[in-house]
Amino acid sequence: MHSLTMETITMPETTPMPARSFAVLGLFDTPNALMKAIPQVRVANLGTVEAYTPYPIHGMDEALGLRRSPLGGMVLVMGILGALTAFGFQYWISAIDYPIVTGGKPPSSWEAFIPIMFEVMVLFATFTAGLGMLFLLNKLPFFGHPVLSSKAITGITRDRYGLAIEAESEAFDSTAAAQALKEAGAVEVEILPAPDRSPFLTSDFILRTLGGIFAACVVSGIVMFLTIKWFPLLAPMKYMQDQPRLDAQRASAFFKDGHGMQMPVAGTVARGYLPTATGTQEAAVALVNPLPRTREVFAVGRKAYANRCEVCHGAIGNGVGSLTAAYGGKPANLQAQQFRDYPDGKIYWAIVNGKNAMPSQAADLTETQRWSVVHYVRALQRAQNAKDEDLKVATP
Amino acid sequence: MIRNPMSQNKPASPLLWGAVALGALGVLGSYAIAGPERFWANWVLWFVLIFTLGLGSLFIVALEHLVNAKWSVPVRRLPERLATLLIPAIPIGLIGLGALPVLYPGARPEAAHHPILAGKAFWLSLPFFSVRTLIAFALCLIGLAVLVGGSMKQDATKDPAFNFRARRFAPAFMAIFALVITLVAFDWISGLTPEWYSDIFGVYVFAGAFLSGLAATVLSVLYLQGQDRLEGVRADHLYNLGAFLFAFTVFWSYIGFAQYMLMWYANFPDEVIYYKVRLAGSWRAITIALAALHFILPFFALVTREAKKDPKRLRRVAYLMLGAHVLDMYWLIFPVLGAKPHFSWPELSFALFFLGGILLWIRGAMQKGEDMPVGDPFLREGLEFRL
Repeated sequence: MHSLTMETITMPETTPMPARSFAVLGLFDTPNALMKAIPQVRVANLGTVEAYTPYPIHGMDEALGLRRSPLGGMVLVMGILGALTAFGFQYWISAIDYPIVTGGKPPSSWEAFIPIMFEVMVLFATFTAGLGMLFLLNKLPFFGHPVLSSKAITGITRDRYGLAIEAESEAFDSTAAAQALKEAGAVEVEILPAPDRSPFLTSDFILRTLGGIFAACVVSGIVMFLTIKWFPLLAPMKYMQDQPRLDAQRASAFFKDGHGMQMPVAGTVARGYLPTATGTQEAAVALVNPLPRTREVFAVGRKAYANRCEVCHGAIGNGVGSLTAAYGGKPANLQAQQFRDYPDGKIYWAIVNGKNAMPSQAADLTETQRWSVVHYVRALQRAQNAKDEDLKVATP
Repeated sequence: MIRNPMSQNKPASPLLWGAVALGALGVLGSYAIAGPERFWANWVLWFVLIFTLGLGSLFIVALEHLVNAKWSVPVRRLPERLATLLIPAIPIGLIGLGALPVLYPGARPEAAHHPILAGKAFWLSLPFFSVRTLIAFALCLIGLAVLVGGSMKQDATKDPAFNFRARRFAPAFMAIFALVITLVAFDWISGLTPEWYSDIFGVYVFAGAFLSGLAATVLSVLYLQGQDRLEGVRADHLYNLGAFLFAFTVFWSYIGFAQYMLMWYANFPDEVIYYKVRLAGSWRAITIALAALHFILPFFALVTREAKKDPKRLRRVAYLMLGAHVLDMYWLIFPVLGAKPHFSWPELSFALFFLGGILLWIRGAMQKGEDMPVGDPFLREGLEFRL
C-alpha cells in the first residue's frame, strides 16, 4: 500500500506502482469539503466515484449521481410472481389434481387461496430483497474490501470523509486519479492495490465455512440435548392432546348419559343404511332386483357368496358345503326345484332375515352385495340346469 | 410561517354558500318526498363521514405526540384544524338520533319480542344509545381541547410544557380513541343490522377513518403549499404522508378481507347474510368497485418511491381515497334501505349540502392559529427533516 505525498505524485517514475490498483482514495476533513469535491472529481471522468463516510450525509445520492436501485422493481416482480405461484399451486391441487369438498365450498375458491398467496408473496419478496441486495447488488461473497485494509479506514470510521475513484477497466490511471483528488482538496491520497487473489472460494474460505457449519451442528446438538434433558415436559400448548375422545363400546363423560355411543336421532337414517325389507317372505315377492346383470355385479356376488354362503350351501349351491359334513346340518339345496321357482325377492328376504337355522346376513352384506348374491345364485342355478340354447351362445 | 396577508379576510365563497342553500332545499324536500327512511340513511352517512374525518385527523395528531415524531411538526397544524370538524359533527349526530326509531331495529319497541334482539334491547334502546353517543362526543371534545386547543395556545405562549403534557396525554387518548371509534362503528353503522356482529368491525372503520384524515391532511398541505403558506415543507414530508397513505390502504384491505374471509368460510347464516346482501344484484358491482378504488388503484398508484413525493400524484390519490371512503360508508349503511342501491337527487342534495358545509368549515379552520405550530420547540428540527 502506498501513501503518496505531493512530492511522489510529481515524480511518479520513482514510485514502484502495483500492477493493478483497485482505487485511489482521497481523505477530507469535513463533509462540506467532500461534497464540494465530488462534482469536480466526477467531471474528470476517471472511474467510478464512491464516498466512504462515518455516517450518512444528506444529498450524497444526488451528488454521486447514484442510479435508483433496481431492487424495488425486482421485489415487485418477484412478489407478484410469488402470489401467482401460490395461486397456481393451490388451484392445481384443490381444483384439478385432487378436488375435495371442504366446508361445502367449491374446489376453486379464491377466497381460501388468499392467505397462502399473501404468505408466499411475502416470502418471495423478502428473499429477493435480502439475497438480491447481498449477492446480486453487493456482490457477496466478497471478503476484505480493499478500503477495509487501507490506512485511512480508521479515520473513515471516525471523523474523516473518504472519496474514492475506483477502477472501471485496465486503463485506469491511478496517477491521474490521485492528481484529481489532490486538486479537489483531498488532504491525503492513498492508492489501494487490487486484491492479489480471488476473494472467492479460497481454501481458507472453504475450510472456515465447513468448520463453521460443523461448529453450528455441534453447538445446536448439545443445546437440543440439554434442553430435552432438563425440560422434558415443556409443552406450551396441548389442547389437541387433551380434547375429549369417544371410544366404541366404552363409557364417556362427554355425553350426559355417560354412553360413548349414541342412538341415532329419532326419525333419521344414516347414509347408506336404509332399513331392510320387513314383513313376511310372501310380501317380499314384489321386490325387484335393482342391479343390472353385468360382469362387475356377478364378480361382487361371487365374492360375497364365497365369503358368507359357500361354507354351508356349497360352491355350486347344492347344499353340500365344508361345514355340513363337520356338523351334520342340512342347509337348503338351492338347486332344488322349490328354490329355482323362488322369485328374486324371496331369496333377498332370506338373506336379510335368515331362515330356519340360517342367521340374518344383513349386518355383513351391504344392499348392493345382497342383490349381487341374488344374481349369483340365479347364475349358479342356471349353470346346473343349462338348456340347449345356452350352449349355442357359448359356441358361436 | 408568516401568514400570507392575501389569504386573510377573503370573502366567503358565494359558490359554496349557494351549494349549501340549494342542498338544504333538496335535503328538506327529500324528507317530504323520498320519505324519512331515505332521509335518515343519508343523514347517518354524512354524520359518520364528518365524524370519521374529524376523529381520524385527531388520531393523526395524537399519534404524532405519542411517538414523539419530529418530522411531522411542520404539518401538524393541518390535522389539528381538520379535527375541529368534530365540533359540527356533534349537533349533526344529536339530530341524527332521530334516525333511531326509523332505521335501527334494536331501538324499536318490537325489539323486545325479537328472539335475538330481546337480549340486547337495553343496549340498543334509544336512551342508552344516546348516552353512549354523548359520552363519545364528550371524550372527543376532551381530546380536541387538550391536543388542538393546547397546541393553538402554544403559538402565543411558546411554552414547551405543552409538548410534555401532550405526550403524557397521547397514550390515554389512544384508549379513548379506541373506545369512541368502536362505539360509533358498532352503534351507528353495525347497529343498522343488529343481528349481525363482527369483532373486527371497529378496526375496519378505524382504518377508513385514519385514511380519510390522512387524505384530507395531504390535500390541505398541497393547498397551503399552493398559497406559499407552508414554507419549508418539502418533498421529504410529503413522502412520509404518502407512505402512510400507501401503508393504510393495505391495512384497510387486510382488515376488510380478513372479516370477509372468516365469515365466508364459516358460512353462519346470521353472519354471512351481511355479505350475501352486498354481493347480490347491483351491490355486487359496488363491492368490486370498492375493492378496486379503495385498495388496488391507490396501491399501485403509490407503490414507487417517486409517486409518494409527487404532489400531482398525491393530490389525485388523496381525492380518490376520500371518494373511496364515502363509497365505503355508503356500502356499509345504504343496504339498510333495501336490495337496490339508492342514488339520485336526495343523495346529491345531501352531498351538496354537507360537502359545501364541510368545505366552508375547513376554509374557516384554515385561518385558525398560525399555519405551523410556531411555538413548538421541535418545529425547526421538523423543518430540517430529510429522508
